[in-house]
Amino acid sequence: MLAGLCQSLAATWAGSSVLASRWRRGFGMGVVGTIVLGMVLLSSAAARAGVSPVVSEGPSGNQSAAAGRPLSAAALFREGVEAYRGGDCAGAGRAFRESAARQPASGTLQNLGNAEWLRGQSGLAILAWEQALWLDPLNGSARNNLRFARKNVQLEAPELAWYEVISTWLPMNYWPWITGASLWFAVGIGLLPGIFRLRRATWHQALAAVGLMVFLLSVPAHLGVLSRTRLGFVLQKDTLLRLTPTQQGQVITRLAAGDPARIERFRAGFVLVRTSRSLGWIEADRFALICPR
Amino acid sequence: MVKVLIAGLFLLPWLAAAQAPGAPPAGPRPVPARPDPLMSMLMTQPPTDIPTNVTATAEFDPPVVRPGELSVYRVAFNALEESIAWPDPFPSPTALNLRAGGHGQVMQYGGTGYVPRTCFNYHARATQTGELILPAFVVQVSGRAVTVPAARLVVTASPPPTVPPAPRLLLDILSTNLFVGQPVRVRVMLPSGASGQIQTLAQVQITGESLLVDQGTTRQQISPVVREGRTVPAYSYETTLTALKAGKLSVSAQGFTAGNRFSGPIIISGNMTMPGGLPQFTLVDCDPVELNVRSLPREGELPGFTGAIGRLSLDPPTATPSVVCVGDTLKLSVTVRGDGSLARLPAPPPPTTRDWQIFSGATEAAPSPMPGTPSGAAFSAITFTYAMIPLTETLRATPAIPFCYFDPARATYVSLPIPSVPLTVKASPTPADLAALFHPDADPGGSEKEPVLSDLAGSPGLTASSLVPVECRAWFPLVQCAPGLLFAALWGWDRRRRYLERHPEVLLRRRARRALRGERRAMRRAARAGDAPAFAAAAVNAMRVACAPHYPAEPRALVGADVLALLPAKDPAAAPPFDLESGPFDMAERAPEDPSVAADARCAEMVRRCFTVTDAARFGAAAADASALLPLEPEIEKLLTRLEVKLC
Repeated sequence: MLAGLCQSLAATWAGSSVLASRWRRGFGMGVVGTIVLGMVLLSSAAARAGVSPVVSEGPSGNQSAAAGRPLSAAALFREGVEAYRGGDCAGAGRAFRESAARQPASGTLQNLGNAEWLRGQSGLAILAWEQALWLDPLNGSARNNLRFARKNVQLEAPELAWYEVISTWLPMNYWPWITGASLWFAVGIGLLPGIFRLRRATWHQALAAVGLMVFLLSVPAHLGVLSRTRLGFVLQKDTLLRLTPTQQGQVITRLAAGDPARIERFRAGFVLVRTSRSLGWIEADRFALICPR
Repeated sequence: MVKVLIAGLFLLPWLAAAQAPGAPPAGPRPVPARPDPLMSMLMTQPPTDIPTNVTATAEFDPPVVRPGELSVYRVAFNALEESIAWPDPFPSPTALNLRAGGHGQVMQYGGTGYVPRTCFNYHARATQTGELILPAFVVQVSGRAVTVPAARLVVTASPPPTVPPAPRLLLDILSTNLFVGQPVRVRVMLPSGASGQIQTLAQVQITGESLLVDQGTTRQQISPVVREGRTVPAYSYETTLTALKAGKLSVSAQGFTAGNRFSGPIIISGNMTMPGGLPQFTLVDCDPVELNVRSLPREGELPGFTGAIGRLSLDPPTATPSVVCVGDTLKLSVTVRGDGSLARLPAPPPPTTRDWQIFSGATEAAPSPMPGTPSGAAFSAITFTYAMIPLTETLRATPAIPFCYFDPARATYVSLPIPSVPLTVKASPTPADLAALFHPDADPGGSEKEPVLSDLAGSPGLTASSLVPVECRAWFPLVQCAPGLLFAALWGWDRRRRYLERHPEVLLRRRARRALRGERRAMRRAARAGDAPAFAAAAVNAMRVACAPHYPAEPRALVGADVLALLPAKDPAAAPPFDLESGPFDMAERAPEDPSVAADARCAEMVRRCFTVTDAARFGAAAADASALLPLEPEIEKLLTRLEVKLC
């Protein structure tokens, strides 16, 4: 492709019209294909870097206490499963949490939620299941566990705007790539035929329209992902929602573990959160976001 | 008119009163509301008096004991138990072995109202004789400091016989080796003291972790019991206890002595003496009893097990009516009897069959006669009732319902199915739509299943490098800008290409400059090598290449006159126009007195000589001597520089 590009440029500059025309046509098609292929590869490469279905088996900084060997996320996952099967929910929770810290995975977070739930930590369990859905909205077990937990402890699910609901249809990292790829695809389809002097065809316009349509449809979901990054959950029961960010602040209400809230801003160990009913400050260590900052 | 005004003046106060907000509406006068009987009953109850002046008492009961003998250290407050911040752990002197006993609260009548009384018991045993004094200490009650007075205990080898022992409860559990869920009868007894006076108990509590006390099966009686070889009357409080967790469980009992007052039915048998006067409400307790609780075995469990533990039997089931039509409802009743309490036993689930629609049975515990029951269970029988609807007329009996119980004596599950009951099913006189009955649980709306906690995920599943979405990372905008930069570069390239297509001379001059630089390098190499012919050829080629774009023409087609025509003049306007017919002009003829013109003339002469030499070398028979051109290299370089500038 690079050789074709050079020859085409040389022929153009040399003024050889016939040869240049032939090379221009081939070069134009090649560049279009290159851009499309590059976008696909870029998207898939970045998606692999961002959301990879393969479990990382590489060495990690964590050391096994027993053998002194580094433990990978997969090894920690297996350790957590064994501890859970053996009834050691605390050990299972630790292993799953380390595994998720090393390599966030939907199944790991789902299992972490199970372990925390059996330990009686409903806030941590709901947070872990929400994070599992954040990574993989198609994880039916995590969704079922959330329904189970919220029914048991009488909690409400977070209220999502319409564009946030759309953003839950696909994993959170898919939407920005779809948005970017569709935009540049539409731009490329509209621009490249003119550059490479290809005859304007109907399918060019159709593809550009499709790309533009995908772009416009994915923008709300993309914004939904961004707004959902401010969504979090109360970790401990009887968390006091105060009027001011001080320990002596007037208590507005008490929040239950697992109550959803949206963060507004930070201030000196407190966070200003908006729940479905009120707005107030709670201690920062009693609240965690789906997407940690 | 005046009469009307006067009448209006008289009517005005009445109208104003009628329009007043508080005026009663016209019509029949309402009957005053009757007082709420519940509110009246509450108002007639004596009030609860929470004393503001909290006092505490402390004593050893009995105050004189032998070494190793039990004495109860009892602290009482006239305050609510929730308001007392009792020290934990309780500081005790080293010479006294104190163990925590029961604690509780009772409301006693104080003349004008009920007054709370809270007691804390400690079991004290002293090993050495002497006088032990538990010093006074301070307890926070409702945020105020209340001093508990000191208490004195005398430990002597020969206590006076007039000192009665402390009243203690006896906890009698029918069996201490239990299975989880197995109900067991518990009896709490308070024997009469040395004086033979019997007291009842109030607020009896069975305390311990993971225990379920069935308050619905309690009963109390006063009857003679044999204690230490003597028959003495004793107050008994019986209830049913169920262990909820396997392992070693500790059970104890406590209650307040209530004198001759009792609540609920009580059976009194034998001779006894009951004290008169107001009760003292002394907290009494007992030593804990340890239960050994085992889990039910998983293996061997039979269908229809709903938690029944004991030794059970079935009465013959009855179906009423015994003759039914298809679609009619019949009631199947069966009574289960056992040696323990069956009050909370759920009915076994009915089988699922296409021929019957069966609604799970209602349960009704049947209280046993209080006396005479071998085990003393209050509810040793329970009746299950099922509503059954036959769906075909071919049925001849009700379906058997699987049921089983766990026999703790044999540690096995025993099948005890509810047998079939013969009956007659007739065809329905009116056709019924039985489709809904065949599948009663089918929900066309697809109702949601009850969520349950899922099992562990077998694999990590979809992974990510971080929970932070990619659009929040710094590299993402750069990646998204890359296609834009690529498109911008392509657009710029296209613009440039289109410009060159409109102005081809730009390309020609650029090519000429490039070729000129090449020829000049060749000329310099030839000059350095002293190769005069090559020098002359390179110089001529350079001049041709530099002048060709101006015509435009092929460089090799240019002759010396073409180059001379393009030589820059001092005043281009003054220079004669180039005419191919007249040939090259003579610069010296134009302005011989101008030094620059003279230089131009020398330059023209130099060009001519170069072309002459090269033409002679190319077309002549004998090669011309080009060595004379080598000294002219600086002038030729200047000329070529001027021509290159002209190309820009």
